[in-house]
Amino acid sequence: MKTQEFIVTAFTENQAGVLNRITAVYLRRKINIESLKVSESSIKGISMFVVSAITTEDTIKVIVKQIKKIIEVLDVAYHTPEQLITQEIALYKVSSEVLKDSAKADKLLRSTNARIIEMNQDYVVIEKTGAREEVEQLRKELKEEDLLIQFTRSGSVVLHRESIEDLLQNIAL
Amino acid sequence: MSEIKNITGAEALLYSLIEEGATTIFGYPGGQVIPIYDKLYGFRDRIHHILTRHEQGAAHAAQGFARVTGKVGVCMATSGPGATNLITGIADAMLDSTPLVCITGQVPASSLGNDAFQEADIISMAMPITKWNFQVTSSDEIPWAIARAFYIARSGRPGPVLIDITKNAQVEKLDFEYKKCNSLRCYEPVPNLDKSAVDEAVELINRAKKPLLLIGQGIKISGAEQEIIDFATKANIPVATTLMGISVITDDLPTYIGMLGMHGNIAPNVMTQNADLIIAIGMRFSDRVTGDLANYAKQAKIIHIDIDRSEINKVVKVDIGIVADAKDALLAMTPQISTVDRTEWLQFAKEQYDKEIENVITPSINPDCGPIRMGEAINELTKATGKNAVIVTDVGQQQMFSARYSKFRNTRSFITSGGLGTMGFGLPASMGAKIGAPDKVVVAILGDGGFQMTMQELGTIMQNKIGVKIVILNNSFLGMVRQWQQLFFEKRYSFTELENPDFVRIASAYDIPSCRVTDRCDLKNAIDTMLNTEGAYLLEIAVANEENVFPMIPAGASLSDLIFKE
Repeated sequence: MKTQEFIVTAFTENQAGVLNRITAVYLRRKINIESLKVSESSIKGISMFVVSAITTEDTIKVIVKQIKKIIEVLDVAYHTPEQLITQEIALYKVSSEVLKDSAKADKLLRSTNARIIEMNQDYVVIEKTGAREEVEQLRKELKEEDLLIQFTRSGSVVLHRESIEDLLQNIAL
Repeated sequence: MSEIKNITGAEALLYSLIEEGATTIFGYPGGQVIPIYDKLYGFRDRIHHILTRHEQGAAHAAQGFARVTGKVGVCMATSGPGATNLITGIADAMLDSTPLVCITGQVPASSLGNDAFQEADIISMAMPITKWNFQVTSSDEIPWAIARAFYIARSGRPGPVLIDITKNAQVEKLDFEYKKCNSLRCYEPVPNLDKSAVDEAVELINRAKKPLLLIGQGIKISGAEQEIIDFATKANIPVATTLMGISVITDDLPTYIGMLGMHGNIAPNVMTQNADLIIAIGMRFSDRVTGDLANYAKQAKIIHIDIDRSEINKVVKVDIGIVADAKDALLAMTPQISTVDRTEWLQFAKEQYDKEIENVITPSINPDCGPIRMGEAINELTKATGKNAVIVTDVGQQQMFSARYSKFRNTRSFITSGGLGTMGFGLPASMGAKIGAPDKVVVAILGDGGFQMTMQELGTIMQNKIGVKIVILNNSFLGMVRQWQQLFFEKRYSFTELENPDFVRIASAYDIPSCRVTDRCDLKNAIDTMLNTEGAYLLEIAVANEENVFPMIPAGASLSDLIFKE
């Protein structure tokens, strides 16, 4: 069976140990987690997990049911990347050389929808939000120009195209 | 319960256990649980603590207690090595869905993470083998954590829960008030029955010509022993049990055809391959049951009923999955079931059984010469106990012979390590079973290898006067591994031969009456003497060194590739 990226979204009680239990479900099958994001959901006390891994659909179905068995897990589902609106935030620390040719810099920022969030004599920090490919494209360009000093990304922030957060309303106490 | 003001966390723990009716604890003291043991001293009239000789023994004893009573078993150990010694028992309980609450001491909260003396991160270690766990770092969390622990351990698909209590939480004061836990917002232990799936299942069952019912421990846990008989009788369907399902129904049921799996009876395995419909209830299609999945039950549609949603389609793709408590599902199905004449199909079962009697059972239980055989010993024991004993096994050949040749009149009478296959389980589990069912005859059937893994528990049996009957089937081999070496590794007996101590002298060192039998003609008398002796007894039976368990489905082979002999 074909392997592909599956993104699991889970809503859980915000408690110590839940993260370990979720990752252990992947680990016991030796599935590497490609990306992981945990943050508070739209409801206080409920965390949202976004876990991306490459596996088969049969396996992800079992994984989702095994994650659901964790006592603190309220709801869990799997998606293909196409089913989700996915964005990442990336920060690029770039040599201040980039500003030497101001027209070029301006063009770069405009064309990639990026913005400068910090600037000093040594470096400039650029922030960009976008799909993973866009984030990668800008990284590539800066690297080719030998301007990139440091780079960091957030991991995927997702929303389902359909309304799946509705279930949270039931427990919005 | 009214509030009790200003007591320590340790006292709150003991009051909480009493609130849960958990007044039997198997445990072992140590540095980080001394405050609990100190308070336990004053609770000796209300809480029965059994001091084992190793924490693994405490965990297995709690399992034996839970399995025989259906209640939550409780064990307790100190931090570090005490806690890590529980791990094997916890893993065993996880795979066999046994409700346990394991209480461990932990270094003070202020020392956590600093590699304090006897600190082990037991929460992380136990995470994949517990249904839930929680670290208590403040005394006021104790009643809350214990209430949740018992609720989670026993509800839905049961399992082990670990509560780790830091030493400061044991000595700090709190005002105690206990509220039992009956629900959690994220947790749905018993799913609602899907009525339309039930209707679809009933339709398939009523139309089936060659249906087969496969039942597991879920029937026992659900308390559906009568409901399964009603269902099978009305539907006129042959019933097979898994290893964990043994003793759920008795062989008085005319459609009972025996045990499934690697060393199961012939009929259940052959009929799996010939059935047009399989109805699996409270079982999980273990690889020891299915053999090669690619060739498993190819002609059958499959209905799977289990309380654990993650079991549906986990290993075997099913046509209808019903996530439900077994009893609820059976009560919903039985009224709609029509009685169908399945004489031919049941006749087929009988033919398979006759074949097994001739080729396997008779030679195994009635050999005419040579050393005593394991099947023969188990068969004699079954006759002597009148099918009323609780049989607790270890793991290996004696386990399979016990499963094949023990017979039962009562549920919860066969206690074995099914999923994890833990050698050393038998002796400590039998102690827990005897304490849980003091009026029953409890017989531990052990091999010479498994006995020596936990034989220090003879000390527990002596000190607590636990009247368990211990049978060692001694073949001076790690018999099951040797069997595989003989059949699949050209008889290279690599490290499976055992040079054993004198087990009778070991028993007498513990003041446990004992006897060794080597001759067939002494076997019956020896078993009678064991059963008629008050209290604990150890009977060593010297059996053939190189006996094999048959029939056998080699690992990875299909159920159609049964072998009967060498």
